[in-house]
Amino acid sequence: MAGLRETMREAVRKLAYRTTVDNLRKRGVEQVSIVGLDRISRLVEESVHRGLRSRLGGLEREAAADAAKAEFLRLIRSNEDLQKSRSELEQLKERAEEEVDRLRRELEQDRQALAKRLEPADLGEMARTEGENARLAERLTDLFRVLASEPELRLGHVQEKVMELLFDAVGTERKAADAMRRELEDREVELLQRRIRKLTETLEQTETRLKEVSSLKTIEQGISSVYREVQGLKTSEPDFEARKGLMSAIFEANLRLQKKKA
Amino acid sequence: MSDKKQGSEPATEKGHGVLYIGMDLGTSRTSVSASNGVRETVYSAVGYPKDVVSMKLLKKEVLFGKEALERRLSLRLYKPLEKGVLKYSGDESSAEAKANLKAAKDLIGEAIRLARPRKDELVYCVIGAPAEASVQNKEAILEAAREHVDSVMLCSEPFAVAYGLDWLEDVLVIDIGAGTTDLCRMHGTMPEETDQVMFNIAGDAVDAELSKLISETCPGAQFSTQMVKEIKERHAFVGESSERCIVELPVDGKPTPFDLTDQIRRACSILVDPIVSGLQKLIATFDPEFQARLKNRVLLAGGGSLIKGLDSAIEKAMKERLGGGKVLKIEEPIYGGANGALKIAHDMPAEYWEQLR
Repeated sequence: MAGLRETMREAVRKLAYRTTVDNLRKRGVEQVSIVGLDRISRLVEESVHRGLRSRLGGLEREAAADAAKAEFLRLIRSNEDLQKSRSELEQLKERAEEEVDRLRRELEQDRQALAKRLEPADLGEMARTEGENARLAERLTDLFRVLASEPELRLGHVQEKVMELLFDAVGTERKAADAMRRELEDREVELLQRRIRKLTETLEQTETRLKEVSSLKTIEQGISSVYREVQGLKTSEPDFEARKGLMSAIFEANLRLQKKKA
Repeated sequence: MSDKKQGSEPATEKGHGVLYIGMDLGTSRTSVSASNGVRETVYSAVGYPKDVVSMKLLKKEVLFGKEALERRLSLRLYKPLEKGVLKYSGDESSAEAKANLKAAKDLIGEAIRLARPRKDELVYCVIGAPAEASVQNKEAILEAAREHVDSVMLCSEPFAVAYGLDWLEDVLVIDIGAGTTDLCRMHGTMPEETDQVMFNIAGDAVDAELSKLISETCPGAQFSTQMVKEIKERHAFVGESSERCIVELPVDGKPTPFDLTDQIRRACSILVDPIVSGLQKLIATFDPEFQARLKNRVLLAGGGSLIKGLDSAIEKAMKERLGGGKVLKIEEPIYGGANGALKIAHDMPAEYWEQLR
């Protein structure tokens, strides 16, 4: 019985909730009455014993005490199992929430990266490659060589020819750069869009799973009945016959009523 | 809670155990006692948001009990029971009747949810119905309950009170509800029609009387039915009061104190005479050999029994009209009916439950 008392103390401790004196004061509580765990468990024990003493004979009392003890321990275990499964589900929910947060952050980063990529790229660097400079220099040299061989060199004509060459060179490079930029953009955009689609899909799936976990009915909210099977009158009960007759009368009346409705 | 409907799921899938629920379906309150130790009571009020705005604000499709009463301005509020029976009994095709029936079903569902049944347990429920409820009314209650439990039975409320206290022979039960006062004579068998008396002078009638008296004697005082009910529940008494009943009521928007001691006494006293008349009728028609015993075994139950001094006032009136009598107030007036119904559910043999599934 000492073990049971300890279990009872433990159960009462688990069922209790903690609060602070400040919290109580805020709720307008000025004084509290304190009942110790020992006292509660002694009271429960004493009341059970008194009940058993007044209602049962020796053997029955022992059997009832054993049954009550077994049932009490079973309820404690059942409560512990329930707490454990609830805790597991809460952890699962927390993990799912963390996953959603991570996916959201990743998605945002990718969106920002895509936006940055879509900004016009600095193509000046590409145009100023060494080979291009050399080709331009060669064409200019050729031009000036041709111009130098002309008998009458006019400044306006030189300017016209140089500008023609430059426009041609710049136009060619611009076309190449545009084509390259479009290709690059298309490739990166496609890549990022694919990734965003995937992430969005994953996010949706995770959010759905989170909702499912949150609304899971597997966390049993109900409280177990003290009866494992249907009871009914016991022949040992006082006024058994009279009670049996009363039960039968109630049943008959209900049967008539429900049959009539059917 | 049991989600199944009758007969749609075999008992083997509910192998965890069996939960018995006793329910007292009252005009003012609905109380449940269950074999898992849960005991709850809820005001018999059901509210549905009036529009989309209130629905978004309240974040619920249906509200019950005190919450519904407190938010009634945003709700279509129903009190589906009146004078102890479902309001639906009249013209059942009318929109109002249908709405009340739906509210009654939702209320019964909420009462069962409050008992916190497990999904894997059989749920067997006994509901205390008014002694003289019509067949149509009883059918409506059963229909509402069947959606939430595996098997359900009805029994007379005053009978449930007596059975719960193991007073089965030569007992008179007075069950004062909001809508009706039921008197029932127990003599070891099921009470018959001649063993029961029911009248409409009960809690609501006291409220109406108190409202009338306040209107007459407190000029300018503003109040609602709900406010009067709360005043009554806090101060109700008959006979001598140990303290004055000072209540603040608004006058032109300003809270003003009123001494309602006499009004409350007079309003509550309207119960005494019809109760004693009912007792007299039941005692006078009983076997003369057992009349004295019956007079000394009167049980006072229901919310109305919370009126201070009512037991003494009835005893005093019985002494004048019947030569004496003893009235015993039950320990838990709010749960007396539900506790008795729970005991009936427990004692009902398994085969009876099975046959009604």
